[in-house]
Amino acid sequence: MKVDQFIVIMVSLLSSVSLLVIVSLGLALAFGMMGVINMAHGEFLMLGAYFTITAVNAGIVLPVAILISAIAMGGLGMVIERIVLRQLYGRIWATMLATWGLSLLIVGVVQLVFGTSSNGIPTPLSTIHLGGYMLSQYSLVLIALAGVLIATTYLVFARTPYGTMARAAASLPEMAAAVGINVSRVNMITFGIASALAGLGGGLLAPLSGVSPTFGQGYIGDAFMTVVVGGASPLLGASTASLLLGGIYAGVSNIVSPVAGTLALLLVSMLVLRFLPTGLTGLWRKARQ
Amino acid sequence: MKISNLRTRPSQTRALGATATIVVGVGLSFIIPAFTAHTVSLWVIYGLLALSFTFVWGHGGIFSLGQAAFFGLGGYAYGVAGIDLAPTTHETMSALLVAAVVGAGAAALLGYFVIYGGIRGVFVAVITIAATLALLTFFTSTGDPAYHIGAAMLGGDNGMVGVPSLTIPGLLSTSNGTLATVVVVAVIVWFAIAELLHRPFGRILAGTRENEFRTQLLGYDVRGRTLAAFVVGGLIAGLAGGLYAGWGNFISPQVFSLQQASLVAIWALVGGRRSLIGAFIGAFAVQGLSELLGQLTSGAVIPLVLGVILLLLVLFLPNGVLPTIVASVLGLVRQKGTAQPSVQNYVEPDPDAAFGRAPSRGLKVTAKAVSMRFGGLSVLRGIDLEVPANAVRTLIGPNGAGKSTFFNLMIGRYRPTAGEIYLGDVRVTRLRPEKRARLGLGIKTQVPSIYSELTVAENVWIAAWAVSRRTQEASRMSAHVLAGLGLTHRAAELAGALSHGELQWLEIGMVIAREPRVVLLDEPTAGMTRAETRRYVDLVAVLARSATVIVVEHDMEFVRELEAQVTMFHDGTVFAEGLMDDLRHDDRILDVYLGRADSA
Amino acid sequence: MRNESFSHWRSGIGRVGIATTAVVLFFGLSACQAAQPSSTTKGPISVGSIDDVSGGLSSIGQPKADAAKLAIKDINSNGGVLGRQLKLVAYDAQSDNTKYIQYANQLAQQDHVAVVEAGITSAAREAIRPILDSAQIPYFYSQLYEGGVCDANVFATGMVPSQQLAPMIPYATKHYGKTFTILAADYNFGHSEAVWAAKYIKQNGGTVVKTEFLSLDQTDFGSSINNLQRDKPSVVVSLLVGGNQMSFYKQFAAAGLSGTSHIISPTFGDGQEQLAIGAKATEGIVVANLYLQERTAAANSAFLKQWYAAYGKSYPYVTPSAVAVWNSWHLWAAGVNKAGSLDRAKVLAALQSGISYDGPGGKVTINGASHHVVQNVVVAEGTAEGNFRVLEVDNQVAPAFEESKCNLIKSPTTNTQYIPSN
Repeated sequence: MKVDQFIVIMVSLLSSVSLLVIVSLGLALAFGMMGVINMAHGEFLMLGAYFTITAVNAGIVLPVAILISAIAMGGLGMVIERIVLRQLYGRIWATMLATWGLSLLIVGVVQLVFGTSSNGIPTPLSTIHLGGYMLSQYSLVLIALAGVLIATTYLVFARTPYGTMARAAASLPEMAAAVGINVSRVNMITFGIASALAGLGGGLLAPLSGVSPTFGQGYIGDAFMTVVVGGASPLLGASTASLLLGGIYAGVSNIVSPVAGTLALLLVSMLVLRFLPTGLTGLWRKARQ
Repeated sequence: MKISNLRTRPSQTRALGATATIVVGVGLSFIIPAFTAHTVSLWVIYGLLALSFTFVWGHGGIFSLGQAAFFGLGGYAYGVAGIDLAPTTHETMSALLVAAVVGAGAAALLGYFVIYGGIRGVFVAVITIAATLALLTFFTSTGDPAYHIGAAMLGGDNGMVGVPSLTIPGLLSTSNGTLATVVVVAVIVWFAIAELLHRPFGRILAGTRENEFRTQLLGYDVRGRTLAAFVVGGLIAGLAGGLYAGWGNFISPQVFSLQQASLVAIWALVGGRRSLIGAFIGAFAVQGLSELLGQLTSGAVIPLVLGVILLLLVLFLPNGVLPTIVASVLGLVRQKGTAQPSVQNYVEPDPDAAFGRAPSRGLKVTAKAVSMRFGGLSVLRGIDLEVPANAVRTLIGPNGAGKSTFFNLMIGRYRPTAGEIYLGDVRVTRLRPEKRARLGLGIKTQVPSIYSELTVAENVWIAAWAVSRRTQEASRMSAHVLAGLGLTHRAAELAGALSHGELQWLEIGMVIAREPRVVLLDEPTAGMTRAETRRYVDLVAVLARSATVIVVEHDMEFVRELEAQVTMFHDGTVFAEGLMDDLRHDDRILDVYLGRADSA
Repeated sequence: MRNESFSHWRSGIGRVGIATTAVVLFFGLSACQAAQPSSTTKGPISVGSIDDVSGGLSSIGQPKADAAKLAIKDINSNGGVLGRQLKLVAYDAQSDNTKYIQYANQLAQQDHVAVVEAGITSAAREAIRPILDSAQIPYFYSQLYEGGVCDANVFATGMVPSQQLAPMIPYATKHYGKTFTILAADYNFGHSEAVWAAKYIKQNGGTVVKTEFLSLDQTDFGSSINNLQRDKPSVVVSLLVGGNQMSFYKQFAAAGLSGTSHIISPTFGDGQEQLAIGAKATEGIVVANLYLQERTAAANSAFLKQWYAAYGKSYPYVTPSAVAVWNSWHLWAAGVNKAGSLDRAKVLAALQSGISYDGPGGKVTINGASHHVVQNVVVAEGTAEGNFRVLEVDNQVAPAFEESKCNLIKSPTTNTQYIPSN
């Protein structure tokens, strides 16, 4: 294997990992911090993508359009938390089924509003040459952004007063309420952030794919596997699981075939869960002991 | 006590209902137009699929979103068996059987993986979805003709074609015949499941769903039973899948889609989480509605409407539409009729009566150098303890001394990092909780661990049945125990409705009904009045007649009244041992309690 | 009130009551629904169509459903069939195979339609084909597909590989080069088409560097892009399908591959892909199909005028398979008029006699033996504006493979799907 080919494969590996981070971070956050499995996460991504292409088609530049969709999704997420989720905390099946209903609802609404096809937007930036290969600058940007997203989320949750409150509200809600934390507001903000991350993810993916009402279904499977394999710790779990699964998928795809990559991903996920029922987070906890 | 408190229904009534439904259903099957029969068949099949979900989730407590996977596998199994066997046998009932077996087998495999792998709660939901999606991927990529079993091509995304219709020799395989077959199968399954739920298996399943650990502590193998329920669910789903493939003469990987899985949950929710008939009504209502919408408007409206329905259901009617309607009608009826439990029925607990008859058979309890570490934290450091058979022993010590951890090691929630535990002569250090319970270990936990969604009588009955394994005997035993504890007048109520004090009595009743040889009581008098505490002293004395009793307690007055040997834990070690009156004068102990001295 | 206590009441007679009431109620209700069979000698003739107007396939299905409505309107305004008006019974199968089974039965047993035009995926076609076969209702399948269906009851008016790949691959070897990579959706269609592509590449002196099958739900094409960069084939044959796989074209363009390899695709455009992925990624992709909205022929202008009058000037895109639907209806109408009767045997005989229709894309003629269609093929290329430019038009291309395998005139009981051998 030549050097340029090796680098390109490494980049494609990182690119797969970064895509997983981008599609799963919001889901992981809602699950890890609030115990909410958001079945409508794929549709949140889809809405983010729709907001972005609508904004771009209206003449707004892409980065701003992506930010707008993140903010819009954050707002929508907070509204959804207020109206739906807050009634259901503690009953995982209820939040799952409610968000499932939400996902059906969103698909229906989007198809009625936007129709079956929408005008896509081009992938921005050009390519860089590397030996006999070319790399899309946009995927390099995505790799960097995935890192930035993880770092920022870490800083927000580990270093800010809000982060401390959010973690307290997540692990011991009653105690947190007792010491004066407004748990319901903290939860609303946390879900807002998770939704904003989904909107951001959808916006970032929009230039890479065609956007249709079923857009989310293409990503939701991977996002779920990442979160399940990662376990309850939203950042540690999601990032290590993205590394593991993205690495395995891209590795096997490059060496054997994409279908083998998909099967390897499912197989590894099953094995991880068989031996670490609480996901990779469990492994970290074990290692610490 | 009346049997009705245990909600036993004579199966004859149910059998009558089933027979009537079959007669009416089959009769109607041949009267209605073929097209209507075709559509209704699908609804009944979906109802059966919803029933499998209701059973597994509502009754087994397993939130499995994999029922669509077993349905699909059943469909493929029927297809393969039908295509390969029907040309020789001229019937497809054998293929239907194969479908059921394959559904059950797949559930056994996945269930073993999940239940014995310790996967719990939300992870069950997600891993069953993941398995469904894995099957979707697999079956989609079987387009190559090399994927065939006998003459049956799996067919990839195109699906399997030429699947024979449901055929019973001598009967026509028309749409109407299909409906009749489907109705008969559905009613039989409904009857069998309703029967099963009213047998001990059903009650213990309910117990496991409500409180898995308590069920384990009563000596039941909860994993085995949960797996059995999961397998039954897989069997029903597989059967439904077989019927589906026979109905459509076709099966494709789409049955493994998320949409299909979500529909199952919607049907079940509309019909009610626990209602078996509701599963069918839910499927009929939802499919009927989407049929109607499909005729009236664009298909895009259907997911929208279903989504709204699902949301509203979860938010406002989590018990399902049907049960809520029935319950509110019922509420009106109830207000007029049935007598409320009255205070006049109240009887003072009489522990002697409840437990007086058991022979003396306590076991010696021995802990040898038991240590426990959690990560870097040493909670127990070489505990040596010996409690002679039929003795009472009190464990005291400040918070964090390791008493609760010691109890958890005793019942098998954790395994010690070092040391051994014996019940009598049996080393139990590594035994699972249910095995220890079968040796005669019973525990009353600090926060009462009972089945709050079951009736008081059912709570005790489940404990009693663990010993005798005979329905009548268990009913007799639980009636006896309830009478002794003064809870007879509340036997038919949900345990969750009891007062805090009553809960304490109920839980001890469950321990007693299990006929224990060693009883662990974890802070039994917490929240009790002085008078109740005094009665508890009597209870312990009665218990000690037939069992060894170890009590963890903070209430020093109670400890003193027990007049038993006391062991004091401090900082993970046995700090002192002796009678309360002696320990009271030990300055070191006061120091520990008042935090005056360094523990070293 | 809790569910548990509900079961107190639901005893004995209660149970029997609920069960019986439920059964009677629903059977009763559904029996009422059943409609009267429509008269077969006077009044409007009911005809049926099933398309996916919602769900994952809606970007293909919506234009087809619109085409069906417009075709029926067109036929009716030109005097109908046998002097009677047509009444279209259209269902939306919501991209769900089970719905296809239900609606096909409904069309056959309740709506008593004279003909059915339906289906996008091969799965849907295979699900309803036996139903319509046994109901003896002629079935028109208007969708490009892997070819080879041979069934006296079925007429396929979409493109088959021998019509699409046969002109496209020589075009590619002539203009781009002789090395090919085949990327195909990992299911029946993709596998079958890949075999065809390999055959035509070999026939035209090209070589296949690599064949990759990609899962229908794949969204990350990194490894395929890497392989393309390594192998540098002059042509990429894309047999990708559906919403997720659209991402490939964008990732291909983003990696700057458009400069080194040319994509040719028989599937591109049928699901309005060029709109969803945008102009930049569409530029340079070569397609071949029975119709192209951009064509300026008079027949097309008239057709589009009609279309825009019905659905508005801003209609996203009139797809080739929408025109296949349009052709299907007109071919059937011509066949019935020629037969002078709705009798199935007479209609089939008329259709097999070589019925023609001058459609928006040119003349289409049913090949009697194979029940496929001889028609024009437009080879076109995506432009920087995100639409297509005609490269060449091959007139009256025959469904060669189907013709060679399938002869329903000689053996009308054949009922199979021929697949190509490697």
